[in-house]
Amino acid sequence: MLDTVVAAETPEGILLELRPAGLTARFYAFVLDWIIRIAIIYGAGIIANVTGGVGVAFWIILIFALEWLYPIAFELTASGATPGKRVFGLRVLMDNGLPVTAAASVTRNLLRAADFLPLVYGFALVSILIRRDCKRLGDIAAATIVVYEQRSVSRPPLDYVAPVVPVRSLALEEQAAVIALAARAPRLTRDRLDELASLAAVVSGDAGGSGPAVTDRVLGVAQWLMGRRR
Amino acid sequence: MTPLRFEETYQDEWAELETLLDRVLGRNGRKDNADPPVSGARLAALYRRACEQLALARARAYPAYLVERLERLTADGHQLIYHRREFGLARLKEVIAVEFPSAVRQHMTYVAIATAVFLLPTIIVGMLVYRQPEMILTVVSADTAAEFEEMYSRSAESIGRVRAASTDWMMFGFYIRNNVSVAFQCFAGGLFAGLGSLFFLGFNGLYSGAIAGYLTERGLSSTFYSFIATHSAFELTAIVLSGAAGLRIGHALLAPARQTRRQALVHATQESAVLLYGVTAMLLVAAGIEAFWSSATWLLPTVKYAVAAICWTAVLGYFAFAGRHAD
Repeated sequence: MLDTVVAAETPEGILLELRPAGLTARFYAFVLDWIIRIAIIYGAGIIANVTGGVGVAFWIILIFALEWLYPIAFELTASGATPGKRVFGLRVLMDNGLPVTAAASVTRNLLRAADFLPLVYGFALVSILIRRDCKRLGDIAAATIVVYEQRSVSRPPLDYVAPVVPVRSLALEEQAAVIALAARAPRLTRDRLDELASLAAVVSGDAGGSGPAVTDRVLGVAQWLMGRRR
Repeated sequence: MTPLRFEETYQDEWAELETLLDRVLGRNGRKDNADPPVSGARLAALYRRACEQLALARARAYPAYLVERLERLTADGHQLIYHRREFGLARLKEVIAVEFPSAVRQHMTYVAIATAVFLLPTIIVGMLVYRQPEMILTVVSADTAAEFEEMYSRSAESIGRVRAASTDWMMFGFYIRNNVSVAFQCFAGGLFAGLGSLFFLGFNGLYSGAIAGYLTERGLSSTFYSFIATHSAFELTAIVLSGAAGLRIGHALLAPARQTRRQALVHATQESAVLLYGVTAMLLVAAGIEAFWSSATWLLPTVKYAVAAICWTAVLGYFAFAGRHAD
């Protein structure tokens, strides 16, 4: 598989598939969090300027809190993600797929001090790029992982084609491939779909053929494999 | 069994599990107290069945929408059922009364090394600068040295400040930010085989030593030492402890014993996390004392030294004795 999937085994013996978030998504999330924090600091700075003394003190404490506690506080909520991560569909989990614990969240965020070295998150950058599970140093040490939220996949809408009986019995992988093609059909352009379907045309007995009619017959095989008979 | 038949057979169970999970996790924004309470046993049973069905669906290479629906169900159920809750006042009390001091005792070797790495440069550089005050210039610039001298001069309105405009509260905020960052650096540096921790500990020791030696030579010892005596009980110990936590993870990386390096690292950070809770709390206390007590000029140095002695005894006694029954 080309997917970067990390498996976490549950006590029931099944593997939960975690999809680690790569550099781009995490970078966007970080920038968004950064903008949010700057906006809060700037806004509070205006108020602090008016009130002076104590206000400025709270402002400095606020900067400290936003710097170190902001990610920890948000990661320990039910969503397990800072606002930036939530917008980009990311969340922080433990390696075993459970919500992040307080100790792990504290460690991974304090270790930003190490990830930040030598310059602007240099080590984090390298670590995320070279590791399959896209962890920065803090993630490695705290046994946490940043993953994409599970998104729902809808059932392939195939009602417009009639089921077609495959010309020969299909192995499990072949069945899965045909059904996966049908699931992707709505997201492909017509030409691309025809092109891909022609590769699978052997299942409907149209080997070598291509075009909309062949495509419909291949999708019909998918219908049949899904269990529709009429 | 075809995928559609499979879905038809089990979709009622899945829908029930989905509803239960949504209700427990408070999703869909509705918290309806009118609903009957969620039965934990029923949820667990449905979860286990979903696990079996997921294994079947994967083995039979069922279409992605089915497998992903089951994956979502089992992932949510897994998180709900095995989630460790470790918040609350009881846990906080446990950390303060037992876990933190007993973690300090467990890490005694690292604490001792961190103390030595911090104190030796302090003493050596302090002595050197005391004998040859111009050596201060190898550590800080002339301007900074002059600023420090001004801060602790007898005429200063409040000690440890340059200008009167800065209020106690402002300095409180400043100290928190500054000290916590120093402490966290000492910890995080441990990821580089402990070298970072050694460096930051040594550097901070050297810096403090240089300033102390310089100010003593200038004859400002009474203001300087009465200023630092009290809060250093919390601040210096906290910095040394975070350095010790850093050394612990550095050591785990260098000598992982019978684990892989990664396992050893994870294990070490989990064990030292409690040190970090304690360190953060101590730094908050230190910043409060530093801003409101240490800087006060109306207190006699003798009073400050007496309070400092009490604080040091309390902190060291706390590490030595608190939570012993649990060791």
